Amino acid sequence: MSTHTTSTFTLDYVKTVGLATNQIGRGFINPYDVAFSRDGRIFVLNHCDSARKNLMRVGIVDLDEEEYLGEFGKGSGTGDDQFNSPVAMAFDSQDRLYVTDELHHRVTIFDASGKFLGKWDTKGSGDGEFNGPAGIAIDQQDNVYVVDQHNSRVQKLTTAGEYLGQWGEPGDGNGQFNLPWGVTTDSAGDVYVADWRNDRVQKFSPEGKFIASFGESGTGEGQFHRPSAVAVDLQGYVYIADWGNERVQVFDANGAFQLELRGQATESRWAGDYLNVNPDEKRTREMSNLIPDLPPHLNTPHHISSQTEPYFWGPVSVRLDGQGRLFVTESNRHRFQVYQRS
Amino acid sequence: MSNQDIALMAHLMRRAGFGASRDELEARVEMGYEAVVEELLHPTDPQNLPDDIIRRYHTEQAEMRLADGAAAYWLYRMITTRCPLEEKLSLFWHSLFATGYNKLNQARALVNQIEMFRRHGMGDLATLLVELSKDPAMIIWLDNNENHKDSINENFGRELLELFSLGIGNYTEDDIKECARAFTGWTLGNAEYMAMRAARDSIWPYSRISWFYEYREADHDDGEKTFLGETGRFNGQDIVEIIVRQEATARFICTRLFQFFAADEIDEGGEKTIASMMKTYFDSNHEIRPVLRTLFNSGYFKSDEARFARVKGPVELVVGAVRMAGSYHTPTQGIEQVARQAVYMGQGLLQPPSVEGWHEGIEWVDSGALVERVNFVAHELANVENPGVRKIIDRLAGEGVFSPEALVDRCLDLMGPMEVSEETRASLVEYVAHQGDLSLAGHQQGDDAEKRVGGLLSLASSTKEYQLA
Repeated sequence: MSTHTTSTFTLDYVKTVGLATNQIGRGFINPYDVAFSRDGRIFVLNHCDSARKNLMRVGIVDLDEEEYLGEFGKGSGTGDDQFNSPVAMAFDSQDRLYVTDELHHRVTIFDASGKFLGKWDTKGSGDGEFNGPAGIAIDQQDNVYVVDQHNSRVQKLTTAGEYLGQWGEPGDGNGQFNLPWGVTTDSAGDVYVADWRNDRVQKFSPEGKFIASFGESGTGEGQFHRPSAVAVDLQGYVYIADWGNERVQVFDANGAFQLELRGQATESRWAGDYLNVNPDEKRTREMSNLIPDLPPHLNTPHHISSQTEPYFWGPVSVRLDGQGRLFVTESNRHRFQVYQRS
Repeated sequence: MSNQDIALMAHLMRRAGFGASRDELEARVEMGYEAVVEELLHPTDPQNLPDDIIRRYHTEQAEMRLADGAAAYWLYRMITTRCPLEEKLSLFWHSLFATGYNKLNQARALVNQIEMFRRHGMGDLATLLVELSKDPAMIIWLDNNENHKDSINENFGRELLELFSLGIGNYTEDDIKECARAFTGWTLGNAEYMAMRAARDSIWPYSRISWFYEYREADHDDGEKTFLGETGRFNGQDIVEIIVRQEATARFICTRLFQFFAADEIDEGGEKTIASMMKTYFDSNHEIRPVLRTLFNSGYFKSDEARFARVKGPVELVVGAVRMAGSYHTPTQGIEQVARQAVYMGQGLLQPPSVEGWHEGIEWVDSGALVERVNFVAHELANVENPGVRKIIDRLAGEGVFSPEALVDRCLDLMGPMEVSEETRASLVEYVAHQGDLSLAGHQQGDDAEKRVGGLLSLASSTKEYQLA
């Protein structure tokens, strides 16, 4: 099944992984990001709503069999293996996982088994200090880029936490930010920042020199409403989570619009297991139209997604795995959808 | 600008909103009373905390899986709106057309219902009642999804007449049946699946799926019906058109509006005001906005006897205190706990105890609820870090040295103005007197002088008088 396209660039839907849960173990709770260990396991960051803060954790799954392989993290709190508002994750070349927490003003480092290794947690606006760390990316040289949202800047650090540099200030000009969120790097080492409340993505050199800006406010092609995340593949295609428009847009390396995804989730293995043991729900579900036409007052992306289960709802993160597959993580639907190039 | 003008404007803003700071009152007095009424009646630019900000920093309000997140979302709206009557009137309709989470397990449908009240709450009653009848939350709440052509369910039809429009005694059992027949086929999309998920409180596999209205023509009884003496092949819309023409409906709606906005008890002057509101209702083709205009501009509403003649409802109390304190104007962890505080006081937003709504007036204040009310407001106003409290302190700082009596009088003035008994005033004076006169000259944020002010505001908020609007 191919998505709508205006060029030869197409993406095929692969599958959906996830299930809502109110407990520990299999399932996700408001997942915010995924990261891929070197052995191909998928680490899923459970941000959790305020009623389930005690279940904050990182879950581990595999894609092919959708096995739930384990989890670590012990809910909400100030302990080294606890969180408050975890936002994003990234692995370095040594398979160490870096997790940001915007309310603890912390980056916590774990190994791939979930063992705590260290943390950077000085709140402030000085070098190496954070005020609301959000997105995180680690390039091929192990430079760590952290979006320091309330300081309106990106900080660059070593994996040991040594400060290397920073750029950004409040505003809407080139190199300025308004509540930035996600970040990624491309194969050349350039840095892309989802400048959330400026409705654009900005591209910088590894030293923070402004290179380009994608997008403007709106709902059309090439327009954004609060983009939350960005990913770039080896060919330079740029995938942007257009969070407020509840979609993903893809551009080529020159910024030319390629296509948009609205989402087409199907039943994950876990969802199938649930419905198989709840046949009454399964029967009435099968009678239902889950992509309905809605009355005008509900015809906004957020409302549509709240009523249209296959569509993205709260797409907070886009990430590419080692095979170039696109993972779109949906906070409000407790799942991620996977796509791949045709 | 006279003290009487300020006091009258404060009265209007307590009733048509959730109270106002002294800065806002002074600006509104400059506008003039009737101009302020018109502004309140024409909400255009609420400038409330934006949805994108709320959803980014409050996951529970993005997903709205549970009632607490949805209630907190509405609280933010009430706390930060510049169009307070829009929210206050929505709270009125929510109280009258009480729909609750406990049966629905679908908070977003309730939030959508409140948004419908914003869209139609000041317009003509017929449109509002038709939209209410199409509202998915109401459909599930009163079982209209079970109201079928060949097997009617009277629940919605009965409450539409008894609790939402005519009032008991103004219709027959046959009218209820005919009304129910007219609303057959008014259901929600994917009704069978959605009703099952609601009954099971299912969030699986991928969280809630929100609801939308659907008309199933094949399930509608299109036969002839006789309702309130009129006969025809009525659909729900026709029934509503008949309802809104009834004098009993005008009396019911105007009385409830009067009790919510003017006074808990209805005296002779109140009866006359309600009669004026009813005349406006019919003169304006059943529009609510002109009815409210008649009420707010009436001599009765402006009179001394209408002042402090209502017990503040818990949500009014909470929102009023937070607006005065200036807290929770940006995303703040714990906003759900503020919603919970209103629950502890007896009024959970989106969680009315039954379709009859809440028992208002003096019943709000039992001893347990009173402790919760006093503690919450005192906590908000004692915190001298809160921006609204700082504004009060800043005003006092520019006004020289205060004797204990002058300090009490000025703080009561800036908190309302509040009218208190001599006994209450004496108690407040006694509280501040033992530390002598107060000067805020050269004060530091959070120092003892400021804390004395915070303490006094906190104590004043615990008085009987503060519990009244």
